[in-house]
Amino acid sequence: MRKRSSVFIAKNRLKTLVLSDRVHCIPSAYDKIQRELYEALSKYMELTEDDFHMEISRTQVVITFAGD
Amino acid sequence: MGEVIVITSGKGGVGKTTTTANIGAGLTRFDKKVAVIDTDLGLRNLDVVMGLENLIVYNLVDVIEGNCRLKQALIKDKRYENLYLLPSAQTKDKTAISPGQMKKLTAEMKEEFDYILLDCPAGIEQGFQNAVAGADRAIVVTTPEVSAIRDADRIIGLLEQSGMKQLDLVINRIRMDMVKRGDMMSVDDVTEILSIPLIGAIPDDEHVVIGTNQGEPVIGLDSKAGQAYLNICKRIMGVEVPFMDLESSSGLLSKLTHLFKKD
Repeated sequence: MRKRSSVFIAKNRLKTLVLSDRVHCIPSAYDKIQRELYEALSKYMELTEDDFHMEISRTQVVITFAGD
Repeated sequence: MGEVIVITSGKGGVGKTTTTANIGAGLTRFDKKVAVIDTDLGLRNLDVVMGLENLIVYNLVDVIEGNCRLKQALIKDKRYENLYLLPSAQTKDKTAISPGQMKKLTAEMKEEFDYILLDCPAGIEQGFQNAVAGADRAIVVTTPEVSAIRDADRIIGLLEQSGMKQLDLVINRIRMDMVKRGDMMSVDDVTEILSIPLIGAIPDDEHVVIGTNQGEPVIGLDSKAGQAYLNICKRIMGVEVPFMDLESSSGLLSKLTHLFKKD
């Protein structure tokens, strides 16, 4: 998709909006949650940042990790 | 035993009432007996869209308060056999009925109708709670705009929390010319964000305005939007229908113009 198209802008704005609506917090909290969850889990599990992925849906927070 | 479907959106003005009227009329084409209920207390519109505004005697609140029997309040549609409207009250506010009363009413109506469609008011307040209470499944209507999609996401979240069994999405007023040049979100863009099953995509069609002017559902007019609504009806009944090509609306002339146009 062209980076200057208005749809590109709309989708980015929506993704941020929907995310903060879903977790009831400011958009920047998403990064903090992800960071802190990663740090907490990596104390007990072998994780790399590339393997770690967090997704927030309307009813759940899904953490996925791949690797050995 | 009938099925109760709530038509909801969160944001106002995205086409809930038009969708309710057209799905209601459309389902009767497949020999279903259908009742549509306007649950927007104080701001009734469904009667006007269906062209039945002059036939109202009793309304939803009268039925719930026991001022009349259900049969007396139901208005038989002029055009579609087996289509009935239960209009909203224009003078009452949203506290006049409770979710429990709606549940009781729809349960009673399920005995007589194959489908009961609830036209939900905008917002997430009591009117929404009332409409949702009696429903077995929900159809969420949105347009490809940031504000409408954001509200749809909130509504879907609330419906999921309330334990609604089935949720389907209708994307209304799509303009393929704008989608093509990257100025309107496509069906795929919207479903990617909302992640619930798509049950219909309605092109922006001037026939909808013409139909509303005349107080008649667009499915009765030869139109793209009408066809899209009929497809939704089939999918509601569990028939698999391929999604139509929203672009092929152009006639021979514009196809020829397109042929000669250089990009």
